[in-house]
Amino acid sequence: MSRFVVFLTLIALLPTLSFSFTPESPTDRRILVLLDDVSLKSSHSLFFKSLQSRGFELEFKLADDPKISLQRYGQYLYDGLILFSPTIERFGGSVDLAAILDFVDSGHDLIMSADVSASDLIREIATECGVEFDEDPAAMVIDHTSFAVSDTEGDHTLIVSDDFIKSDVILGKEKIEAPVLFRGIGHSTNPANSLVLKALSASPAAYSANPKSKLSNPPSLTGSAISLVSVVQARNNARVLISGSLSMFSNRLFRSGVQKAGSSTKHEKSGNEQFLTELSRWVFHERGHLKAVNVSHQNVGEANEPSMYRIKDDLEYSVEIYEWSGTSWEPYVAEDVQVQFYMMSPYVLKTLSTNQKGLYYTAFKVPDVYGVFQFKVEYQRLGYTSLSLSKQIPVRPFRHNEYERFITAAFPYYGSSFSMMAGFFIFTIVYLYNK
Amino acid sequence: MAASEDSNQSKIRTAFGGVLAFFILVLIGVLAFSIRLFSVIKYESVIHEFDPYFNYRVTQFLTKNGIYDFWNWFDDRTWYPLGRVIGGTVYPGLTLTAGSIWWILNSLNIPLSVETVCVFTAPIFSANAAWATYLLTKEVKGTGAGLTAAALLAMVPSYISRSVAGSYDNEAVAIFALIFTFYLYIKTLNTGSLFYATLNAIAYFYMVCSWGGYTFIINLIPMHVLLCIVTGRYSSRLYIAYAPLVVLGTLLAALVPVVGFNAVMTSEHFASFLVFIIIHVVALVYYIKGILSPKMFKVAVTLVVSVGLVVCCAVVAVLIALVASSPTKGWSGRSLSLLDPTYASKYIPIIASVSEHQPPTWPSYFMDINVLAFLVPAGIVACFLPLSDASSFVVLYIVTSVYFSGVMVRLMLVLAPAACILSGIALSEAFDVLTRSIKFQLPGLAENSQIDAGDTTSSSVVTQDDAAKTNKNEDTLKERPSRKNRKKEKEHVEKTSIKSQIKKRLLVLPLEASVAAIFLLVLLGAFYVVHCVWAAAEAYSAPSIVLTSHSHDGLHVFDDFREAYAWLRHNTEVDDKVASWWDYGYQTTAMANRTVIVDNNTWNNTHIATVGTAMSSPEKAAWEIFNSLDVKYVLVVFGGLVGYPSDDINKFLWMVRIGGGVFPHIREPDYLRDGQYRVDSQATPTMLNCLMYKLSYFRFVETDGKAFDRVRRTEIGKKHFKLTHFEEVFTTHHWMVRIYKLKPPKNRIRVKTKKSKSKASSTTSSKRSGKRKKNPWQ
Amino acid sequence: MARSTTKDAQALFHSLRSAYSATPTNLKIIDLYVIFAVLTAIIQVGYMAIVGSFPFNSFLSGVLSCVGTAVLAVCLRIQVNKENKEFKDLPPERAFADFVLCNLVLHLVIMNFLG
Repeated sequence: MSRFVVFLTLIALLPTLSFSFTPESPTDRRILVLLDDVSLKSSHSLFFKSLQSRGFELEFKLADDPKISLQRYGQYLYDGLILFSPTIERFGGSVDLAAILDFVDSGHDLIMSADVSASDLIREIATECGVEFDEDPAAMVIDHTSFAVSDTEGDHTLIVSDDFIKSDVILGKEKIEAPVLFRGIGHSTNPANSLVLKALSASPAAYSANPKSKLSNPPSLTGSAISLVSVVQARNNARVLISGSLSMFSNRLFRSGVQKAGSSTKHEKSGNEQFLTELSRWVFHERGHLKAVNVSHQNVGEANEPSMYRIKDDLEYSVEIYEWSGTSWEPYVAEDVQVQFYMMSPYVLKTLSTNQKGLYYTAFKVPDVYGVFQFKVEYQRLGYTSLSLSKQIPVRPFRHNEYERFITAAFPYYGSSFSMMAGFFIFTIVYLYNK
Repeated sequence: MAASEDSNQSKIRTAFGGVLAFFILVLIGVLAFSIRLFSVIKYESVIHEFDPYFNYRVTQFLTKNGIYDFWNWFDDRTWYPLGRVIGGTVYPGLTLTAGSIWWILNSLNIPLSVETVCVFTAPIFSANAAWATYLLTKEVKGTGAGLTAAALLAMVPSYISRSVAGSYDNEAVAIFALIFTFYLYIKTLNTGSLFYATLNAIAYFYMVCSWGGYTFIINLIPMHVLLCIVTGRYSSRLYIAYAPLVVLGTLLAALVPVVGFNAVMTSEHFASFLVFIIIHVVALVYYIKGILSPKMFKVAVTLVVSVGLVVCCAVVAVLIALVASSPTKGWSGRSLSLLDPTYASKYIPIIASVSEHQPPTWPSYFMDINVLAFLVPAGIVACFLPLSDASSFVVLYIVTSVYFSGVMVRLMLVLAPAACILSGIALSEAFDVLTRSIKFQLPGLAENSQIDAGDTTSSSVVTQDDAAKTNKNEDTLKERPSRKNRKKEKEHVEKTSIKSQIKKRLLVLPLEASVAAIFLLVLLGAFYVVHCVWAAAEAYSAPSIVLTSHSHDGLHVFDDFREAYAWLRHNTEVDDKVASWWDYGYQTTAMANRTVIVDNNTWNNTHIATVGTAMSSPEKAAWEIFNSLDVKYVLVVFGGLVGYPSDDINKFLWMVRIGGGVFPHIREPDYLRDGQYRVDSQATPTMLNCLMYKLSYFRFVETDGKAFDRVRRTEIGKKHFKLTHFEEVFTTHHWMVRIYKLKPPKNRIRVKTKKSKSKASSTTSSKRSGKRKKNPWQ
Repeated sequence: MARSTTKDAQALFHSLRSAYSATPTNLKIIDLYVIFAVLTAIIQVGYMAIVGSFPFNSFLSGVLSCVGTAVLAVCLRIQVNKENKEFKDLPPERAFADFVLCNLVLHLVIMNFLG
């Protein structure tokens, strides 16, 4: 039999992520933090501490430090990047827009925060990731209904929002009770862009404008179309967090209490810490990261994987799916994983049964069509890394000796053929002896 | 005493003639083999063109895996993702032939590679075909005509074009099988032996195995039988020749997987069954006529006719009712194309797109059969005096094959043997008459030759040969020392001398006229030989995967195809899918060993139309189509730089037509400016934006700064453009093959902005492509 | 008119019979054999009309084996018929050997095709 190669492709899963996300040593992860100002290190220390307590090694650099570089000898030095430098016009060293995008495109994670009067460079990074900040550099998100009640009467630019994305995967199981304080620039996302998610949206009454000047034109961004914090999961599962406010990461807003205007409940502590910590867990793949292993398929009752199926064979298919919990791989439990037996269109679509321990399995009959099929698992759920498995397998028609033999309906024909042969012998004998 | 000596002499003459004929046949075989070696000598020992690569690949599989695996071979590397059941869709005759030759040689410890065997299969079988022609013509008109016809066939250009060394295609063995089947049919007809009838059926089986053209046999023979019956030439030999052939042949044909039940289900075979029934009725009538007295026979006839009429009316009524009740009125496209052979080429673009399916032009007749075209009418006349069953068959053969060759260039191949046979007959008869009249008028010469012949009784074959030679020299017939011509001459001299003894009464022509006519005929023959050698050496030897061109600074060799396939073989993953127009499918699978989407076996029109649509769509749509087919690489053939005319841009309208036939949003007029196909600045935007244009002309302007297309002789319309969904990965030395890779979907989705944002991205993309792009001029 | 036709038919039948009784025995054996084969073929066609043409290859081989046998027998009959002038120089033994060869090929093919 000729060599029929079966191949397995795990599209954009472990190979690309192996740089940033190594299951072997997941706790030892290096993150470069680029700051505008050294003082940020202390003013935002709570956020950094929470990262360090989870095992990340942070390396702080000034954004215009001439010695920074993301990679050396073609190897990336860092697994993640935090850009807390909204005003930087040009990074030091070899880092530029293209370098950062390549960093993301090779599967690394990015947290970036813009702020009022964000530089063009920061805006461009955001644009490349599918997020567009308000064009007016001085614009802020203003909300006259849901602002934070504070001691000094302000211009309502410190707003509160509790319009979180509804996803336990991204924000964790624990509900965020307190609203989040935000002061900064708003951005918009393209609803057609499936990769960008609005993690925190503004209230319907919000708008984006320069608080110092009179509002002459209708603001370009209004209402809940304004996104305050967005997350992006690229096709290679690199994750990006884009925030319009640097101050929301600060110790001050982490600590401060919050009371929404017009609301009597006063929370002792804002939701910022919980929100941003959970979000950073998601961004750094401590949650919502799936892997599929041990894809196997075989004829029912056999152990080995065949190189080729025959039409109408009965086969079994199984795959194991695990989720990374931050420390270990846990079985992933869901009822909606489906497998397709696919050749230009799915011929078989089956929901996989699970044993609750990560193993998903099913059995079905190969359709009566030959061709090169694929086992396809396309699993895309909000917040989870996309799982896209395909495994090619040819399906051949019957061999010449696999068709049904000795069909009952055909017995008269067999009979007649053999009677002809017998008749031939008898005739030969009679004819020869007749002479 | 004199009489017995005479008979003795003639016996020895016959024996001598037999030996001579044998040697001549051997020489003809050698000639047929060696004239086809020009391609090996001028180029190299490679497989040619497109289909032979597939056959070669199949043969390799056969020799590696054995016949059962071959029979059940499901090939998952072509027609992705449909796959192709090779065993059930291929005519296995050629493959099995070459496979068994290889196997025999190997078991004799002659370790030839499969490729060598494949390359030389066609020349070997053309020698066989020449011998089969000899046998067939001999059955029709005697040895002389046979030898002439065999010699003509050995070098008829039409056949050479399909059977040069390396042209490893079905036709190479099929023509031999065709002629041999006809020979056995005639032989059965002449002898009435069941033994030959059995052989005939087996030869027919071999033909069915080899080529789809077997339908020509199964229609031509019934036609001949019918002709014989209608002209009152029915004999029991006809019955023996025909009836077992139909039964055995049908059964054997049904054994070939690719034919299968078609042997009884399709309209091409119905004619034979109809004639089968007719011949039984006729046989019965003759039988009854034989055993009854004439008077009673007349009674029987009236009775049968009156009863038969009633039955016939009933049957016809039922048939009409059946036909009327069916919606298509019983006319399928297939039967339409049978009645009107241009039907398929007019309404099915995929058939029309193949150049060898076009009707031939007049020059191609002259090119392919040369002077035979003028000799054929003479041959037909010769066949009518006297008309036998066999010669009527030959006449029928030539008439039908002329008709079919007028429909399709490809069927010129079927015409060639018929033309050779008839020309052989004509030449031989002409020489016969002319030399006889010379001999009659020159008694001295005749005596002389008789004395020479008399010497042979006691002398060896060698002296005999010398004698014949001197004889000929005296005749001063030799104008050109062509070996073959001399042979022919020899034969005629021999034959004449024999015949002149048997019957002296003949049609006498004036001496001068005879000599002049012979001279002219020899000149004609010489011209034919020169033309054939030229055709074999120049016109039909190019393997088409390696091209050469002569220019003022010497010979250029374009080996781009193999360069591209080698690149694919070494630089891509084993399971990558390569999309190209179907012409290159077989070569890609055979030479690059990569999975292709469509190939030259055009069995699935929709799939081909999908590729055609992708090629004629704008980049993004094309990317989506290709991506849905898991295509990784797209291969286009581009001749604009070196002036290679059969490139994809020139085939492009067929892609549009075939694609538009299935997907109506592709419309041919969108690609034509005022009905003209052009790629210059007058071309339509649809044309300038379609994938084929872009892939062909991408970066073309960088070659000469003007982007001048040497095939279309024009500057192209759109010179500077970028590819967004494809990236160029390889371009061969002469730009004849260009390979592109599908870009993966964007990792991130950018926000679309009106502003200067695109600047930044374009610098990155150019940087990226700059890294991977390879300058073909380096 | 009708009566004359019947009479003619009777006369015809009669003369056919008398003419046929003159044929030698070995030819009669062949005739019997042919009739047997043709009858089997007709029965099979009838059976196919009832049951349907599902194992089409079996049906084909069944019918064609009968037809083939009949045709070959007819050929043999033509060749060994002494009254037939065309085959004077063909000895009946040779004819029979050819016939056997032909039949062997036929039945081999049938065996192949039957399954």
